Amino acid sequence: MEDLKELKKVEQHADQCMKCGFCSFFCPVYQEEKVETAVARGKNYLAKLAIKGEQKFTDELGEIIGKCLLCKRCVVNCPAKTQIDRVVVAARAEMVKNKGLGFVKNFAFRKVMANRKAFGNYVRLAKAFQWLLPKTEGNIRHLPDFLKALGQGRNIPEIAKTFLRDMVKPVYKPQDGKAPIMRVGFFMGCAVDFVYPELGMKFIDFMTKRGIEVVVPQEQSCCGAAIYFSGDFETGRMLADKNIEAFKDVDMIVTGCGTCSSTLKDYQKYLPDNPDQEKRYKDFEKKIKDSMEFIIDVMKVKPEELKLKKEFEGKTVTWHDPCHLIRYQNISAQPRAILKGLKGLKYVEMPNADLCCGMGGSFSVYHYDLTKKIAAKKMNGIKATGADIVVTACPGCMINLIDNVLQNKMPQKVYHLLELVE
Amino acid sequence: MLKESVINELQRIVGKENVLTSPEALKAYSYDGTTSWIREPDVVVFPTTTQQISDLMKLANAEKIPVTPRGGGTNVSGGSVPWLGGIVLCTTKMNKILKIDKENLTATVEPGVVLQDLTLALAKEGLFFPPDPQSFLGATIGGIIAENAGGPACVKYGVTKQYVLGLEVVLPTGEIVNLGGRTLKNVVGYDLLHIFISSEGTLGVITRAELKLNPIPPAKKTTMVVYADVAKAGEGVFRVLENGVIPDKIELLDNWVINRIEEMMPMGLPKDADAVLLFECDGIPEAVEKETEKIVDIVKKYGAVDVRIAKDMDEANRYWLARRAGFAAVFGKAKTVFAEDVTVPRGKIPDLINKCKELAKKYNVEIVVLGHAGDGNLHPAILTDVSNQEHYGRAVKAMDEIIEEAVALGGVLSGEHGIGLEKQKFLKRQLDPVVIDMMKKIKALFDPNNIMNPGKIWE
Ligand SMILES: Cc1cc2nc3c(=O)[nH]c(=O)nc-3n(C[C@H](O)[C@H](O)[C@H](O)COP(=O)(O)OP(=O)(O)OC[C@H]3O[C@@H](n4cnc5c(N)ncnc54)[C@H](O)[C@@H]3O)c2cc1C
Ligand code: SF4
Ligand code: SF4
Repeated sequence: MEDLKELKKVEQHADQCMKCGFCSFFCPVYQEEKVETAVARGKNYLAKLAIKGEQKFTDELGEIIGKCLLCKRCVVNCPAKTQIDRVVVAARAEMVKNKGLGFVKNFAFRKVMANRKAFGNYVRLAKAFQWLLPKTEGNIRHLPDFLKALGQGRNIPEIAKTFLRDMVKPVYKPQDGKAPIMRVGFFMGCAVDFVYPELGMKFIDFMTKRGIEVVVPQEQSCCGAAIYFSGDFETGRMLADKNIEAFKDVDMIVTGCGTCSSTLKDYQKYLPDNPDQEKRYKDFEKKIKDSMEFIIDVMKVKPEELKLKKEFEGKTVTWHDPCHLIRYQNISAQPRAILKGLKGLKYVEMPNADLCCGMGGSFSVYHYDLTKKIAAKKMNGIKATGADIVVTACPGCMINLIDNVLQNKMPQKVYHLLELVE
Repeated sequence: MLKESVINELQRIVGKENVLTSPEALKAYSYDGTTSWIREPDVVVFPTTTQQISDLMKLANAEKIPVTPRGGGTNVSGGSVPWLGGIVLCTTKMNKILKIDKENLTATVEPGVVLQDLTLALAKEGLFFPPDPQSFLGATIGGIIAENAGGPACVKYGVTKQYVLGLEVVLPTGEIVNLGGRTLKNVVGYDLLHIFISSEGTLGVITRAELKLNPIPPAKKTTMVVYADVAKAGEGVFRVLENGVIPDKIELLDNWVINRIEEMMPMGLPKDADAVLLFECDGIPEAVEKETEKIVDIVKKYGAVDVRIAKDMDEANRYWLARRAGFAAVFGKAKTVFAEDVTVPRGKIPDLINKCKELAKKYNVEIVVLGHAGDGNLHPAILTDVSNQEHYGRAVKAMDEIIEEAVALGGVLSGEHGIGLEKQKFLKRQLDPVVIDMMKKIKALFDPNNIMNPGKIWE
């Protein structure tokens, strides 16, 4: 039955749109495709028709609402403040309800399973995910998108030999042996767990050096971005509950992944289905800090007092704003403050630093060609800076930036900001 | 429904990837910037060359299929809604800036170029295209010419028709013609160029435009003037002009709009003001300073209660951002909004404002005013809800009377949005039957089979 529950929850947002068309200027997808179904106005209109029962959940609709990076450039520039992200995500949820999980699952299987190397990695990953997903649904029903994107001719990151989860201890005491000045939970996130484990260790080291006690609950799971953004709210809620439970003993949770921090904060926005959930998700939101805001706003680190790693001395650096930091969390000043304050680095702002890199989670799996076109604009911005290194704070963006820097034979190296400092 | 053979032929002309027929795509091309005019086309095509448009028009003309040109779909009169179905001819993939000629201060562009993209490209050369419809983020040059658009800067610079030197047009019968030229002066036979400006896509498809540009003035200054009486603000407009200062912009926000903007995004507008006027002067720095001083003197003499000169670009930008937010403020507050586009001679602004106030009381509806006061284009907006028949009925009556009053004051029923579908029923009130008949004959001459955006302008 089409109860349209999820879409009805966002009806008031969909109604905000006054069809002015301004979003077309900001939408990276529209800028490539130039068709109305690509832009927020068009997607929103179709969603509104769906709410009225005048648009069915056809494959074509799935395709249209799938072609959205959820970059929120439309949202922050909309004069009516229409929250298209919520409408698109809710429409995807209806899509999943109507078409079954096949809508999501087919893709993972079709695109990934055809590739042997990818498959090998999948088996390892699937093991890691086994504990997480109900057996009946198959172990690899959902995998983080950057991994699903394997095998499309892109430069894919190596899956780490040892996952972070297999390296970490449950508790890290401050290195100076004194009583901790605060105690935080560390949320790993899939990209850090499986691809950049050393980054996770680095962040833990950064905090414990500065008197913080870090706990790393083993029961934590994927943040759920790839899952609930593609419309699988049921699994999304399951993950939310798992994470909330895993971190119930800490008051603050930090992560080095911009997408994870935003996703954890936004359970309350996209997922609640009853007042109790809403309250729990809201309480959870208050605990979450992205690494960038944590370092500057909570730890009150003075950028000029940070020590740059030797290998970066004298380098010119530029910053890429991940959508999930600048537009989802309004975090853009903090990383710039660090990069500008770090002695030994030269900072240059890139043109359109806030432009989406084109990754968009599952978007880049379904629409890799579009991802490349959108990334090309990002690459132009990077080239214009003449920087040696591109820094960001989202492993998802890093993966896509590295791929495109390599494809364009550019000299730049891509780093997470945490990798620059001692 | 179109014949399959027609669709195949269209695909042959523009390429398969440039023809859309899915029900979802057709729905997405059923609307424009208006709330209530919705009609689906049978097919949407995206030509990429003039020749393709010519071939397409020949096909449509032979088959008598309606063709509705569409640019950004931002117009607010139903202009790009395919009222009789058929083909939507969308120009968004013809979006190249072909040439920027610094020597002659001209630019040659394809019709689908979005104004803001042009503005950014021109700025790099120190140039600008003066017409500034506030939909610049979505509106295309084709649509801007077809609607003869204009924005705040028209007080000093005029509207689109003053900045189009030449056009390439594909006629409904498929011929490609060039009108006008590249020179500022041109008296070679009838001025057919200007028939296409404000033609609302009913006479042919604009496929290339030669635009006149200006150098960017080196200085700008914004002044906000506060009034305790909105009609006094209306007077302020023509007092400034008659006393010899021509700012490039004069915009008005009334109390209701100010308060909605402040709710949406606090910017420090005076919430208890009955209205504010925003002035901008541009030119060489010394002149801008002097003009600003003079504006301050004049408005103080004629009833302003407070004057704030923006200290820097930041403050100035904040005021203009507020002005732009005005539209959203109005639309966000009601299910249905009649965004009126009446325009009166500047000296009559206070009369029109007073009439709006009177009508708001008489019909017990909210009527708010935010507009390009500098050119008499006031945009009174009536807030209503189409699903509430009783309220809607009162709103319709109020709107009727506003239009009546505007025409009686020597004004026009549309300053910039065009007639399209929205204003058809008022056309007869404004125009002499003989004039309407002339227009219809011109239409028939260009478009014998009535396939070019049919159903528009006339009832
Ligand atoms: C928020 C907002 C603010 C606005 N502010 C202003 C303003 O300040 N001043 C103003 O004047 N208008 C304003 N408008 C109205 C609108 O933006 C203008 O009318 C604009 O010129 C339309 O351009 P477009 O590309 O969107 O054209 P569309 O809406 O696509 O089409 C408009 C008309 O032009 C025709 N047309 C389009 N392209 C061609 C072509 N290549 N050849 C022939 N005919 C064509 C169409 O058939 C249609 O009749 C505003 C609209 C909105 C939503
Ligand atoms: S900018 Fe906002 S209001 Fe305008 S069309 Fe896009 S979503 Fe709608
Ligand atoms: S979220 Fe990004 S991709 Fe999606 S409609 Fe908005 S601007 Fe376009």
